[in-house]
Amino acid sequence: MNTIEIGEAKEIIAQEIENLAERNKEPEWMTRIRYKGLEAFEKAPHSDPVISIDQLLHFIAKPETAGIPEIKSLEDLPPEMKALLDRLGISEVEQRYIAGLAVQTDTSIIYNQFLKEWEKKGLIVLPMEEAVRRYPDIIKRHFLKMFSPYESKMAAYHTAVWNGGIFLYVKEGLKVPFPLHLFFLIQESSLAQAPHIIIIAEKNTEFHLIEGCTSPVLVRHSLHLDMTEAYLHENANAKLTVLQNWPEYVHTRPMTRARIGKGANFLNTTVTLGSGKSNIANPKYWVSEKGYVELNGIILGQKDFYVDLGGEMYLQGKNAAGINASKAVIMDESTVITRGIIYAQAPKSKGHISCDALLMSDTARMETYPGLVSQVDDAELSHEAAIGKIKEEELFYLMSRGLDEEKATQLIVKGFLDPMLKDIPTEFLVEIRKIIELAVSGGM
Amino acid sequence: MFYSLYLGGESLLQIQNLIVTAENKQILKGVNLDIGDGEFHVVMGPNGSGKSTLALTIAGHPKYNVRDGKIIFDGSEITNLPPNERVKKGILIAFQHPEEVEGVRIIEFLQQVLHELKGIDLADAYDLIVEKAKDLWFKEEDLHRYVNVGFSGGERKRLELLQAVLIEPKLLILDEPDSGVDVDSLSVISRKIEELHQNGTSILLITHYGRILQHLDPSSFQVHVMKNGKIVMSRSGEFVEEIEEKGFQKIFEEVGI
Repeated sequence: MNTIEIGEAKEIIAQEIENLAERNKEPEWMTRIRYKGLEAFEKAPHSDPVISIDQLLHFIAKPETAGIPEIKSLEDLPPEMKALLDRLGISEVEQRYIAGLAVQTDTSIIYNQFLKEWEKKGLIVLPMEEAVRRYPDIIKRHFLKMFSPYESKMAAYHTAVWNGGIFLYVKEGLKVPFPLHLFFLIQESSLAQAPHIIIIAEKNTEFHLIEGCTSPVLVRHSLHLDMTEAYLHENANAKLTVLQNWPEYVHTRPMTRARIGKGANFLNTTVTLGSGKSNIANPKYWVSEKGYVELNGIILGQKDFYVDLGGEMYLQGKNAAGINASKAVIMDESTVITRGIIYAQAPKSKGHISCDALLMSDTARMETYPGLVSQVDDAELSHEAAIGKIKEEELFYLMSRGLDEEKATQLIVKGFLDPMLKDIPTEFLVEIRKIIELAVSGGM
Repeated sequence: MFYSLYLGGESLLQIQNLIVTAENKQILKGVNLDIGDGEFHVVMGPNGSGKSTLALTIAGHPKYNVRDGKIIFDGSEITNLPPNERVKKGILIAFQHPEEVEGVRIIEFLQQVLHELKGIDLADAYDLIVEKAKDLWFKEEDLHRYVNVGFSGGERKRLELLQAVLIEPKLLILDEPDSGVDVDSLSVISRKIEELHQNGTSILLITHYGRILQHLDPSSFQVHVMKNGKIVMSRSGEFVEEIEEKGFQKIFEEVGI
């Protein structure tokens, strides 16, 4: 690996900013935000436990970019991606007009006719670049309001070169009766895919957004830096399900933050199944009066995958409540660390952290550091953790009914995760279970 | 035609001089037992005499190590087979303490079991399970619960019997089917045991109290008494009454063991 200096990296980023500004026909205010990111890049701290500063600079400095065939409709998708959608039953579901679908590749989003019709009712799903042009006032008020580029080099880099992502807007009172699907694909090596997602759910709305992250082409050392800012207003009822299934060489740094309004509900489920290199996330949630947030993490760690999940919840309103729960199946030499923190800052707020892990090998590693901070008298905060191996008695019970060790183990692992796989559409569950079965068989 | 039942047919299970240890402690110290096809055998004995170890060793529990002796089933030696191979040959155990399996739904588990053992396709298996479950007082929605999780003693034992009814083993081992069970469950369990026996399943029933035997016809089974890792007495079913009356200690004293 050739080492490069930060000055060179800044030049490359500056060039990328100009390219993106021109490609997106971006208004000047947005380009200024990008330059703020560039300015912050040098000063911001770099504290990533896996990617060193040299590696990060290397990701940035990738000299040539290969041409990506332009993808305008679902028909233009690479065959692997189409096969995946077929497996998930998405195309079929779409035909039956019960689901919205937006697919993002490295540079563009494909979205279907169906969503355009829903736009009339007040559902906006747009590529972020287009939203910047069409709804500048709204985007200005919501873009990068929950993050600062000075927090970290990753946040600064994202700010400078963000590309892709969606803007989801749900008009007051609108209840979206079908889940919205969004896919990410990484097709190009050493490029940071940095989608920016803004979600605004007005009062009394309901929606379910599913992000399926995958990478059909095995690329080396790709970096995925997505940033999500969710604004849920009074009594909004929102679900965000993120499915991550990355190949071995992808590093992901999902950055999710959400403001949960009075009486609003946010169910955020993340399923991490792949054998990606590392996944470091520290989502933050600010919860108002009677608001509720549930963060569910489902992790299948394989090979030398390194997962470090934070999760800060600030219970700021009376009777606000939050749950941070994770279930991890840890195989091979993978490491899973969870460190959720709940701050109770208002009367009668309630928070709970739970962490369960199933260790599948002697070299698998789990660490958990729950944090509970009570800043008021009458908050209720609790945590529980259970880390262990498959019980011999459980395995024997299933085997004594005729299942071999592999099938019995698969059943136990699926069962361990099952209670947390609620609110995931059946077609994904089938896929998730298949991935778990394959991983268990591969690990035996 | 009890008589022909009693004599049984071909030998189904032969246990020869079985010596078993667990955690380096010898528990079975030379057990011999023959069960013929279609026969019903009851094993009784005081706590710690090795009854449950015998049952679990026949089923292939990895905790129990066979140091000497043989288990022959249906003409072939199974002493070292894994538990799933034993059930494929026709041995099923109904546990004293059926394990909770969090997250695994009864229906999905049993569908997979029937598919694995009998090649029944999943949709047919579903219907069959729901149908057979009624007799054991399980409603369809109960079958969507996790295996044994939050179950009462009676529910657990009834679920074990449901599995026996579905799997239809050649030999059913019942480890204390009467412990921790309410009266109503006990009567439905004993009816099912009789039904299975009448349909040709051989039975090996382990019991401490003999409570369940009051629900069964003593002329249909023979009884063995275990003491300190060995079978020390084998008698006809009527002997149970004497055990109930006198207790193990007195009986052992009378025969001088």
